[in-house]
Amino acid sequence: MDNLTLSFLHTVLKEVQSKHDWKASLDTLFTSLRGSFVFDNVVIYLEDPQSKGMEITYARAMGRGKTAEADAVWGERVATEVLASKKMILKEPKHQGRDKDRMAQPHLLGMPLNIASKICGALVFIRFGGPEYSDLHIKIASLQAFWSAALIERRDLQEARTELDSVQRQMRLQDDFVSTISHELRTPLGFIKGYSTSLLRQDTKWDDATQREFLNIIDEEADRLTRLIEDMLESARLQSKTLQFKFSPVRIDALVRDVATRVNTHHPNLKIEFNLETLPPVLGDGVRLSQVFENLFSNAIKYAPGSKLIIATKSLGKRVLISFEDEGEGIPEDFLPFLFERFYRVPGERTVTGTGLGLYICKQIVMAHHGKIWVESVLDQGTTFFIELPADPTL
Amino acid sequence: MAKRILIVDDEPRYLRLLEANLRTEGYEVATAQDGVQALDVFSAQPIDLVLLDVMMPRLDGFGTCQRIREFSSVPIVILTARGEEQDRVRGLDLGADDYLVKPFSATELLARVRAVLRRAQPPAETGQARFFTHDDLKIDFARAEVWRREEAISLSATEYRLLLQFAHNIGKILTSEELLTSVWGAEYKTDKEILWVSIARLRQKLEEDAHNPRHIVTRSGLGYLMPPIES
Repeated sequence: MDNLTLSFLHTVLKEVQSKHDWKASLDTLFTSLRGSFVFDNVVIYLEDPQSKGMEITYARAMGRGKTAEADAVWGERVATEVLASKKMILKEPKHQGRDKDRMAQPHLLGMPLNIASKICGALVFIRFGGPEYSDLHIKIASLQAFWSAALIERRDLQEARTELDSVQRQMRLQDDFVSTISHELRTPLGFIKGYSTSLLRQDTKWDDATQREFLNIIDEEADRLTRLIEDMLESARLQSKTLQFKFSPVRIDALVRDVATRVNTHHPNLKIEFNLETLPPVLGDGVRLSQVFENLFSNAIKYAPGSKLIIATKSLGKRVLISFEDEGEGIPEDFLPFLFERFYRVPGERTVTGTGLGLYICKQIVMAHHGKIWVESVLDQGTTFFIELPADPTL
Repeated sequence: MAKRILIVDDEPRYLRLLEANLRTEGYEVATAQDGVQALDVFSAQPIDLVLLDVMMPRLDGFGTCQRIREFSSVPIVILTARGEEQDRVRGLDLGADDYLVKPFSATELLARVRAVLRRAQPPAETGQARFFTHDDLKIDFARAEVWRREEAISLSATEYRLLLQFAHNIGKILTSEELLTSVWGAEYKTDKEILWVSIARLRQKLEEDAHNPRHIVTRSGLGYLMPPIES
């Protein structure tokens, strides 16, 4: 290896390793390259993943044509061909007139850039008026393509890492129960504060109808706040396993019927269909299980208004299966995995009355019974909640 | 003339609260329940102030704020339900003029609105124009869409931002440094080549004849400009 090559390699590897801005590194590399490999302009094109077009990531005029205006040659067509064929493309001009305008005789060499195992870019060298690119030049150019790709990949990784850090931080914040609570509590409080201070304004008079309207809202929001606080306390107790359960043999089919009857008195128009098998007894807390069933009923009424409910129970030997099916709008598949999370609301759904904790609490209760709860849904057909609980025929 | 305020919030109860109070002060009110609707309403009538909730689905509050700022300097007050500093700072960075944290009192709201309106400069004539035309070229700022003779043109984000620079500075020569700094950022101030290539590409897409441009014209040694159209 001769000194020149060695020194060049040294420069290259140093730049790829360095903390320099990737563009400065590319500048250094291309400048040190010009001794062995003449070019006038160099451009790097990268595929834009969103528009599927090409973005110019880097461009330098280093030789003749430095004063070129915006209509100079930048090898865009060659870059497109390189990306399409994923191969090197060489375009020499047809006439080799020596005295003719150099700028009109660009020699174009395009190299594919392999970044993260995908050819998604092109490195184009432009030479005005020759000489032609020899085999050695092409080899050097392909080396340069490797290093440019490496630098760009490194830049992408750095950006991804920064974003990942930020996302992780966001998730930690979101997971922070306290901050979410604060937000959830501020909503009804915001209304109470806003509407009450409206009524307290000394500089205006509200008519009677408006006064009643505002006072009703304050009242409703106070109720909402109360429910929210109760649910939060309950979910906190469940979370920390300090909630007391009273286990005794429970007949699920009877329990479900009881809850349905109660619900029907408040909602006489609700049509409930039963499909109940006699079930072996379950060791459980009847009060808490009723709570779960009530929550599922109330969700169906809220989100599938007017739909009938089909309640079914099935014995699976050592397990029992209970299902709550409605014929409402259904829930998009993408949102199903998140339904049981605290404060989760399906995007686009805006209910003033929900606390966002109902299903989370249901899940905690079912899990405390060593059971499982899950949901299936088909858009425009309906949603079904399933609960599986361990049963004991010997009870 | 009565000032008109646009309220943007996805909670109907907030819309009611804000509207009721603002009307008692003699303001006229327009409402929208998400960012996309907000942009439509905003572009359809003169608006003197925007009250913008930042926790909305679809185009969220911050995104809406940014989009409005692309073509208007109307005063914007963001409503944030979290007192978190990042929300306030982010909103202010994106061009909001002030913020209000929920829960707020009605009197606090009205005082903030009065203060922001007092500070605001009188709206420029073209301050809110939703559409921009330059001969056969048309830009819809609200939708960030560009048309040439009724045909939609697909521009990259950078190309669009570059075009906006010219659209907002008709008749003014913009230097390379100015363009590079505002579209790409300070680190690109001397990166002339990237500007050349982008202008070349923009011309390919926008001009009848890219070599004889009428929309983006070069002034040798000085910069580039979008010349005013002589009617």
